[in-house]
Amino acid sequence: MSERAAGSIYDLGYRRYEGRRLGRWDAVFSLYVHGLRAAFGLGRRTRSKVFPMGLAVVAAIPALGYLMAAAFIDIDISDAIGAEDYFTSTFFFPPAALMLFVAAVAPELLGRDQRHATLPLYFSRGLSRQDYALARYASMATALLALTLLPQALLFFGNALVVDSFGGYFQDEWGQVGPIIGSSILISLFFAAIGMVISAQSGRRAFATIGVIAPFVFLPIISGVLVGVVENFIGRLGVFLNPFFVIDGFTYWFFDAAPDLGEGHPLNTADFAGGWYFFFALALTAIAVALLVRHYGRRSL
Amino acid sequence: MPLIETYALTKQYPRVTALNALDINVEPGIIGLVGANGAGKSTLIKILLGLLPATRGKARVLDMDVETEGRAIRGLVGYMPEHDCLPPDLSATEFVAHLAEVSGLPRTAARERTAETLRHVGLFEERYREIGGYSTGMKQRVKLAQALVHDPRLIFLDEPTNGLDPAGREEMLDLVRRTGREFGIAVLMSSHLLGEIERVCDSLIVIDAGRLVRQGAVAEFTAGLGSLEVEVEGDAAALAEALTARGFEARGEGFLAHVGLNGDDPYDAIRDCIVELELGLVRLEQRRQTLEDIFRPDADEAVAERV
Repeated sequence: MSERAAGSIYDLGYRRYEGRRLGRWDAVFSLYVHGLRAAFGLGRRTRSKVFPMGLAVVAAIPALGYLMAAAFIDIDISDAIGAEDYFTSTFFFPPAALMLFVAAVAPELLGRDQRHATLPLYFSRGLSRQDYALARYASMATALLALTLLPQALLFFGNALVVDSFGGYFQDEWGQVGPIIGSSILISLFFAAIGMVISAQSGRRAFATIGVIAPFVFLPIISGVLVGVVENFIGRLGVFLNPFFVIDGFTYWFFDAAPDLGEGHPLNTADFAGGWYFFFALALTAIAVALLVRHYGRRSL
Repeated sequence: MPLIETYALTKQYPRVTALNALDINVEPGIIGLVGANGAGKSTLIKILLGLLPATRGKARVLDMDVETEGRAIRGLVGYMPEHDCLPPDLSATEFVAHLAEVSGLPRTAARERTAETLRHVGLFEERYREIGGYSTGMKQRVKLAQALVHDPRLIFLDEPTNGLDPAGREEMLDLVRRTGREFGIAVLMSSHLLGEIERVCDSLIVIDAGRLVRQGAVAEFTAGLGSLEVEVEGDAAALAEALTARGFEARGEGFLAHVGLNGDDPYDAIRDCIVELELGLVRLEQRRQTLEDIFRPDADEAVAERV
């Protein structure tokens, strides 16, 4: 307070902070919230919002299109788009939009801190490196969850509005809610884990983005060859190389659905029980997150 | 309670030894960490922060072990890195407030502290602009603000005047001094410029090639090291000779002679010698020995011995 004596009325001087100090988890939570906002470009320039927001809309295109159609044309709503199909490879847009969203946002979330060398500022505070990695991962996964749940919610409530009995629809379709949420969470965790562990390897946004997209483009090709050409157990295992089929597999398992995919569809050819896809996705997610955490634990500054 | 203690602290990289069995013990205050570039200053700071693991040895900060209580230490200290570390597309207010929250301040408190701290470091209306458009001096201020925003007990400043022009350097040093003196926050500041350290710091740690050269209060370094600078119209060398004959330490060249302040009443002796030699006295000035003089490689050996 000696500043005040020094004269300037504008300079109140430095004051000690005597207020409340929150714990480690509040710190991690604030990092998480900040990352979640950054994922959608909130609090950033408009330019940063265009891509994530745009992809969120792309992911919702089938749902929006369906709702518009249902609003203007009197169509039979009986499962024109089923919730179990929405993020499977049946529709091209939604899973592709999720993949592009991860490829755009994950390098931004992790790469920014590397490019601008802000990591030491985080790591010199009262949270651990592992906290940082997990908070960033949680931001990414939550952003993806918003992208997956939004179209499903549109579809669900849209359907409910179209049918005559609003309450009746809820009663009939209530069983869908669990699988919708369950599959959406696993899809988000799965995509986020792959995207983040790859993005962590390079601070250069372009490299990281290409690095995330590449496996989603090339692995399905390899997978297709293995499943289609190599006619043995090893060939059948190839189906797991295609991340989109893995998502198809566990999503149908969540909904307990046996979709008519047609003769020769790799999922039919491979003929694994849905639970295998679920465990595979879960294991891959866990490994990727562990690698991400380890990467930041060992990173030298 | 010592502020920082290290015991045989060693950091080895595959090819170089950055720190070599460093024993440090400093009390709270403004501490200068001096050394040439590559002497191990940044490495030491990073180890004390727990950002780097030490190869061997122990270190304690605020009476806590760096290795086992790193997170607790980091909750109580602030760190201003040497390099650029700010995102260009956020405003100073947003970024510093975010870091305040990560330091555990509740949201509203973080906002208030951010405004106060940014004002304290001298950023006013600019603080709402994106950092990308800031000058180097303004960026350094933001870096200092983020180190202070959570009101730490100790701040580590790694070359805080790096890249600043002389005026900016002055202002930064003044900020550091006020932070340490008036607000009672202990400061460890690294610099390769002795002059800066001398003007701001209470005590000093000198390291060279990872080894401790010396540590102690700045006053100890410079005590008893004064000398007189005598400018004459005539042969200063002859004056120095005459003074040496009287038992003073003196050397002269051209119009300037330097006379050690030891011995009996050098002022009278200088006056007498000048009168004897019939030289005109132009200027007689007491020079306080600076740290630069002590560590200057070509420093007079006689002076160096007395250190």
